[in-house]
Amino acid sequence: MELTTPGVATLSRDPDEPARGAGDAETADVALAASGDGRAFERLYRAHVARVHSLARRMIGFDVADDVTQDVFVRAWTKLGTFRGEAAFGTWLHRLAINVILARRTSLGTERGRYHDGADVLDAVPSRPVVNDLSLDFQEAIGRLPDGAREVFVLHDLEGYKHEEIASMLGIVPGTSKSQLHHARMTLRKHLDR
Amino acid sequence: MTRDQWTDRLSEYLDGDLGIAERAALEAHVASCPACEAILAELRRVVARAQAIDDQPPTTDLWPAIAQQIGVSSGGEPHGVVSLAARRARRRLSFTVPQLAAAAAVLLLLGSGGAYLTLQRGTSPVPPLPAPIAGARTGRGPTTTLVGWEKTRAKYDVAVAELESALEQGRKSGRLDSATVRVLDQSLVTIDSAIVQARRALAADPGSVYLNQHLADTMRRKLELLRRASAFAPART
Ligand SMILES: [Zn+2]
Repeated sequence: MELTTPGVATLSRDPDEPARGAGDAETADVALAASGDGRAFERLYRAHVARVHSLARRMIGFDVADDVTQDVFVRAWTKLGTFRGEAAFGTWLHRLAINVILARRTSLGTERGRYHDGADVLDAVPSRPVVNDLSLDFQEAIGRLPDGAREVFVLHDLEGYKHEEIASMLGIVPGTSKSQLHHARMTLRKHLDR
Repeated sequence: MTRDQWTDRLSEYLDGDLGIAERAALEAHVASCPACEAILAELRRVVARAQAIDDQPPTTDLWPAIAQQIGVSSGGEPHGVVSLAARRARRRLSFTVPQLAAAAAVLLLLGSGGAYLTLQRGTSPVPPLPAPIAGARTGRGPTTTLVGWEKTRAKYDVAVAELESALEQGRKSGRLDSATVRVLDQSLVTIDSAIVQARRALAADPGSVYLNQHLADTMRRKLELLRRASAFAPART
């Protein structure tokens, strides 16, 4: 009988085998969580919640950040099966968080009808009146950027994504990502000293 | 504020996104334009400031709400999944002794089971899986089961059980060197974990073609790995 099969997994290294080293404890927790261990998943939550929550806060706002963060971790629990260990768990979770946030943004945008882009002025959201633009500190000012500019700025300057990746996430062209980033930075200059 | 044709290129310059010629031209301009020079300095500070922002956890602990939603206890013991975790632990243990060999049954079973899974993988969409192994998920278990997939799974389970039994016997015979066994062992644990993950994900999203495909792929990989092991240690039975 023929023993070998084309494309068979090699014994030297399985492509799904997680990288060895510092992440071993987390790798173990990921495997445990994937098999239903709630305590392992709680450890993953504790390790990553600040990053996810901060991303949500910056991308979509403080008022829904808790809700979005919960949603991200609930989805992470159900989607661990699609995590293949090619990237770090944190990277995978971060990308999942962005997807959740962007999906939420769309539904919120429809409800509130406040999506527009291109402006380099701070966005005056009716529910969050701007008392005085220049009184905002730097992080508040980020939160008041127009949605398009804020998302690009957060993803590029805080989260380290490239324009091509951002363009793909947001469904825009890289040139738009670049100009939005520049608009955001130009606006935020005024809030450097606050 | 004075703006000119270069002002809106300053971020691109900062990010290294300009071509060589444009970069040189911009640098020449900035050297003679105090406004652009000042703006460039501010943009640098904006970027530095952004990068210095620390992540902050939420002010309230969200874990209890998450734990409730995913059906585990926020206090500790997971609900309804202990048996699965225990099964996983047992299975890992069964492969830690560095003695593996495969039986003739391996080849026989893989001849049918492997082909069956490959065939199954070729059909699209792959039908949904039946309920997850430990019935761990609450409330949202899949209701659709297809006979074809059931049969495939049953064949797979039988094949794997017999393979593992054969390997368990084989490990006592000392046919494989310990390094090979370790690698095989790790790979099987990884694949097993992936299978469990896929089954769990399917429990939550039973209609997912991708997940079904992923699970079929993963199961096939496991069979292939076991089959490969048989090439290292010809069976005696
Ligand atoms: Zn100038």
